[in-house]
Amino acid sequence: MKRKGIALLLIAIMAIMSLAACAGGETTRTDDGAGSGQAAGGTSSKVKVDPYGGDEVKIAYIAHDIKTPNNQGWKEGIERVTSNWSNIKVDSYGAEESAEKQVQIMTDCINQGYNAIILQCSDGTALAPSVKQAEEAGIPVVTVNLDCSSDTIHSALVMAVDYDGGRMAAEKMAEQMGEKGKIAIIQGVPGLERTDNLEKGFRDTIAKYSGIEIVDAQSASFQKDTAMTVMNSFLQSYPDLAGVFAINDAMAEGAALAAQSANKKGEICIWGADGEKDALAMIESGDMAGTIYTNSWDEGSTAAKIALLMMGSEYDYTVLTATPKVIMEPIVVTKDNVGDIAEEDRW
Amino acid sequence: MKKINWSKYSKPIILVAFVIALSILRPKAFLSLDNFSNVLWSVAVIGIMVSGTIFVFLIGGIDLSIATLCALSAVVVVSVTNMLGGGVGAVLLGVLAALVTGALAGAIHGLIITKFNIPAFLVTFATQSIFLGLAMVLTNNKIVSCTAPAFTAIGAFKILGFPLPVYFMAIIALASWAVLRKTVFGRYVYAVGGNPVASEISGINVRGASIMCYVVSGLTTALGGVVLASMTQQASAATGAGYTNDVITAGVIGGVSLLGGEGTLPGAIFGAVLMGLLNNGLNLMSVPSTHAGLVKGLVIVVAVAFDAMNHADQSKKKVKKFKKTKDTAKESA
Repeated sequence: MKRKGIALLLIAIMAIMSLAACAGGETTRTDDGAGSGQAAGGTSSKVKVDPYGGDEVKIAYIAHDIKTPNNQGWKEGIERVTSNWSNIKVDSYGAEESAEKQVQIMTDCINQGYNAIILQCSDGTALAPSVKQAEEAGIPVVTVNLDCSSDTIHSALVMAVDYDGGRMAAEKMAEQMGEKGKIAIIQGVPGLERTDNLEKGFRDTIAKYSGIEIVDAQSASFQKDTAMTVMNSFLQSYPDLAGVFAINDAMAEGAALAAQSANKKGEICIWGADGEKDALAMIESGDMAGTIYTNSWDEGSTAAKIALLMMGSEYDYTVLTATPKVIMEPIVVTKDNVGDIAEEDRW
Repeated sequence: MKKINWSKYSKPIILVAFVIALSILRPKAFLSLDNFSNVLWSVAVIGIMVSGTIFVFLIGGIDLSIATLCALSAVVVVSVTNMLGGGVGAVLLGVLAALVTGALAGAIHGLIITKFNIPAFLVTFATQSIFLGLAMVLTNNKIVSCTAPAFTAIGAFKILGFPLPVYFMAIIALASWAVLRKTVFGRYVYAVGGNPVASEISGINVRGASIMCYVVSGLTTALGGVVLASMTQQASAATGAGYTNDVITAGVIGGVSLLGGEGTLPGAIFGAVLMGLLNNGLNLMSVPSTHAGLVKGLVIVVAVAFDAMNHADQSKKKVKKFKKTKDTAKESA
């Protein structure tokens, strides 16, 4: 028994040492890079590579939660761009909705010498130092939808509309409701910049219509089943509820199911945002009134193209005075135009 | 004269106090059959799950894989139903496949834990990520949806104003209560949790009983997954996120000891319903989400403290009584 234990221990030590040896080979270069970068004070140690010329490059895609349709859409979008080049490799990581884990993954990716990082920040403040560290080590960082705090300049931000998305939803919703009635909002997790802006855009615009009143706002943590519970209590508290705006489509779908169960299918003007496949189907069936559609695949592809551009160019983050933004084209979808969104664009 | 032992009723008292308070604060919205139906509907999945997972808690084990096993069985039921065309037969086979998945998962848990004597915490922590991985692979990490009427009926069909999941919860809770209270196996479960060594010596098949407990937990988790998938008309690797915490919390609020041997099924269901009422109350009172967590935590602490205080009183009385009989015994000697 004892001998077996010692043997296992030895195997474990050997395994760890071999791992360390592998990692060591790759880290040396970037470690030096990061060191000299810090010494010079905010200069990048970027080495230009040519991904389209056959240089072996690898991109890390780090999601807040790899399980959501959005993240899957971005991942596939990134792969669509890179799959045609055998020398470009993409690795996907999920942070399991934890900012600490994401910081850890960032550190690992920097040490492993990735050529670019595509990141959906779990927490803008927590991730800012990691983003800075990556850029100093010469690794361009492209954030998707959720950015790190704005004073941390990095290669690019690709995002779906936020404030304007809320405005567009509010305008169309007001029109559908005949500019009168009570509205409730189903929120996600408070404190995320993009969704907070979406809500703000919605509220600011609705405030212009004197006949419409926002009576309540509750969180359903972006979850479909929780949204059903929240919607049920809205229906109890406000029997004359005329509209619901949910910050994402999953929650709008949940609200629509709750309305269906209360025999109010189609009677309440339910809106979401994102444009995922199931929401479009619910707009077709009349359960939901509309959504703000963004093509997730396109968004992922755009992020990947920028990453390739940045790693293949002379420029790096030191020449920038602010993080450049690409905002994806929003499409206001209602029953009238939902048929225009082709099957192959439904993610 | 027989005195009423109030401490025995502290849990129902808390629930009644809650209902009265909310009825006064929001009479129109709260006091309706629809709302009660909604509250029970919202806790049905947790209620179903905790009715089985309590067996694991009672033997001193834990199951951290609830959420992802729920996702996996949700994915299985939706995939099988879709594959077979979405008719009644397809749904039945889908549900069966999901339940088999759950039972198998539970059996694997039980076998590994008892065979290699590894803490349940570690085993279920590892399988949690295996189940998640399987769910992702099976769905290609996408949402699979199913709107076949025979399938969505499981989560939404109403009888006498209450949706089916509420009846599922009632039936399973009742069955679980009966097994724990009225059968030999139920006694074994408490005995194993209280003292596994003594149980082994007194001839109980500790290993068999433990494996059985994990199978039961797997089964109810899978059923919870089926109900959740039907309610939301879809399944993905993200289905059931957060349910591990909710189920454990419901049990603990209801007085189930995670060290094993202590706790009752009505207690666990009380925990689930209390959480449901609390969420419902916060929603009806329009408490903003920034404050909801604070209020929720405070109310749970107060409710649990009230419950624990009553139980402490009860045990103090017992000690007093014991001392008294000891004294009289001394005197007579």
